[in-house]
Amino acid sequence: MSKALGIVNFSGNNIWVKGLEEYRPIGAFSFLGRYRVIDFPISNMSNSGIERIQVYIRRKPRSLIEHLGTGRHYNINSKRGRLHILFSESRDENNIYNTDIAAFSENMECIERSHSPYVVIAPGYMVYSANFDTLLQNHIESDADITLLYHAIDNAKESCLNCNTVNLNRQKGVLSLEPNRGNAKNRNIFMDTYIMKKELFISLIKKAKSLSSMYTLADIVNNACEELDVRGISHRGFFAAITDLQSFYDANLSLIDLKTATSLFDNENWPIYTRTNDSCPTQYFETADVKNSVVSNGCLIEGSIEHSVIGRGCVIKKGAVVRNSIVLPGTYISEDTTVDCQVVDKNVKIIHAKEIISDSQKPGYIRREDTL
Amino acid sequence: MKQNTMLAMILAGGRGSRLHDLTNKVAKPAVSYGGKYRIVDFPLSNCANSGIDIVGVLTQYESVLLNSYVAAGRRWGLDAKESGVFVLPPREKADANLDVYRGTADAISQNIDFIDTYSPEYLLVLSGDHIYKMNYAKMLAEHKANNADATIAVIGVPMKEASRFGIMNTDEEGRILDFEEKPEHPKSNLASMGIYIFNWKALRKMLVADMKDPDSKHDFGKDIIPHLLSEDKRLFAYKFKGYWKDVGTIDSLWEANMDLLDTNNELDLNDPTWKIYTEDVTTLPHYIGANAQIKRAFITQGCVIEGEVRNSVLFTGAEVGEGAKVIDSVLMPGVKVEAGAVVTRALVADSVKIGKEAVVGCADSEHIELVAKRVKGVE
Repeated sequence: MSKALGIVNFSGNNIWVKGLEEYRPIGAFSFLGRYRVIDFPISNMSNSGIERIQVYIRRKPRSLIEHLGTGRHYNINSKRGRLHILFSESRDENNIYNTDIAAFSENMECIERSHSPYVVIAPGYMVYSANFDTLLQNHIESDADITLLYHAIDNAKESCLNCNTVNLNRQKGVLSLEPNRGNAKNRNIFMDTYIMKKELFISLIKKAKSLSSMYTLADIVNNACEELDVRGISHRGFFAAITDLQSFYDANLSLIDLKTATSLFDNENWPIYTRTNDSCPTQYFETADVKNSVVSNGCLIEGSIEHSVIGRGCVIKKGAVVRNSIVLPGTYISEDTTVDCQVVDKNVKIIHAKEIISDSQKPGYIRREDTL
Repeated sequence: MKQNTMLAMILAGGRGSRLHDLTNKVAKPAVSYGGKYRIVDFPLSNCANSGIDIVGVLTQYESVLLNSYVAAGRRWGLDAKESGVFVLPPREKADANLDVYRGTADAISQNIDFIDTYSPEYLLVLSGDHIYKMNYAKMLAEHKANNADATIAVIGVPMKEASRFGIMNTDEEGRILDFEEKPEHPKSNLASMGIYIFNWKALRKMLVADMKDPDSKHDFGKDIIPHLLSEDKRLFAYKFKGYWKDVGTIDSLWEANMDLLDTNNELDLNDPTWKIYTEDVTTLPHYIGANAQIKRAFITQGCVIEGEVRNSVLFTGAEVGEGAKVIDSVLMPGVKVEAGAVVTRALVADSVKIGKEAVVGCADSEHIELVAKRVKGVE
């Protein structure tokens, strides 16, 4: 059992995913057909031996609660372990008050009550695999106050624009955190993942509160960089921050490539758990033509699919063409309909529209439960 | 949760020797079916969906895998309070020697103490190796309405095949007049499905007597049912309509899988009101490569398809390499068909590897080829 308490944090006011986020927090977004985004941080924790996990929810809890349930499917010990879902009361007067710091201090007693001397904080809106146990060992051995995880990218002008970046000195000491303003290609994107002593975490929360009601955890850690020993560790492998519709779309499509997928999934050693839906296998009919795609169970496929991710229980009728699209579970696409470069939300019926085409640089979004 | 007073016992001890290498290491109920299931998932899911809370599974032959598989009752939702799946292999008791189950009725007799702890009003006896979806609550309702002593589920089979089954002859009301095991000249086409509902107290008395009877084979079909009929008890047939298959041979197991490829097939595993539950495996959804071709196929999670799949059922984690062809075949969990290999009219057993450019099976073979060992490829 790990020495750390796991905390899965929600996204701040700097992030908004058009369409999808109207209905649920990013953690509950369907991902690569059968997963939800939050499966990644929780599986990382579970695989790292972290058995006490707190998941913070700020708004629209329904689908996330439904998915998390008792957390049994994450392979957490059912007696010693615990998946604890914590809410924060949303303040309607102004969204600026709805920070992670506010949520942590509201639930301070749950954090204080934990017996774990360390905390590992990971975002519920980023997709990556990482061994937090190794990182925790490194952190303890390094004697640093805070360890941060970052991912080096070379397309920071176009991507991760809503993320923070980590400014490092030569010794991997963190000088500051600042928003990615898209003015350089090479950036170290902050993965919103922190390791520190629980006591330090608690004192940072208290300090942030006293300084400003708007402060987030990232803000107070940035502040603390001057006085504390904050270090960065570079992450390798697949990384995607789900911060807007484009990044959600791109992350899903990039994982259609099996090689890319193996840099995220390692079934033998690092399984990503999710809730089973007990769907039967997918049935392909005589007229089906499917290429270069990822398809979940429970689908009935008579049409063509190309370069797409198809969620559970979708029906693609004869003559329909789905191309370059992310189709969420339970969608029905009728005969001779072409869907290209779309994010199709859950339980959509496309019956009357015969052509829905966008551009891969600006994918379209089709509303949940909508009939077109 | 308390819904009815019927306890179910699933007979899962059979070896299924006509399935050859598939049942060398596992009992027939544990054999894989339909992409992601095992045969025993069907009676277990039926029980769960019918609101039965206590299920005993009687195991005997190669029971290690089956025991651990069915013991995880939560897969079928059978883990609420006062609910559970209990694995019941033959055991040594204070007043009796350790004895194998001598017959289907003996398997129940040896577990009278287990059943007594729940003192059910009715006992449902099921076979662990049939593929079908059935609401046992409806059968119980009929049993009660008929004021029956026993109810036996029957299914209409083609008359020319009737002599392969246990045949029930009934009157217009469905009351069973007599029962013939594999009759040469069948009088009806109502075949017993091996699904029985008994009034527990009365059955219990009979089983106690049957255990001591040296002439009995301790079998429901051969002893208990004829005995009930001879005593003029009220036995009724419950007519079942729908898909039902006893997969006794490689050919019939293959065929039962192929049935799933039909449009609107009768089993309809996609029905959200009667799901079949199974083990939850951690795998990716299935991956389909840029040059893949898939026509008429049933494919589940964890598969990777780079080649051609036609008229076939692929189980969890099966892989079909670039340029490989899988036609009219069943690939069990973890099978790997390497690049350029061709598999035709075959059933490939769990985790078997078909090497590069190897050729397996034949399009006009009389029987389905069972591939249970690794096939070497062209180096």
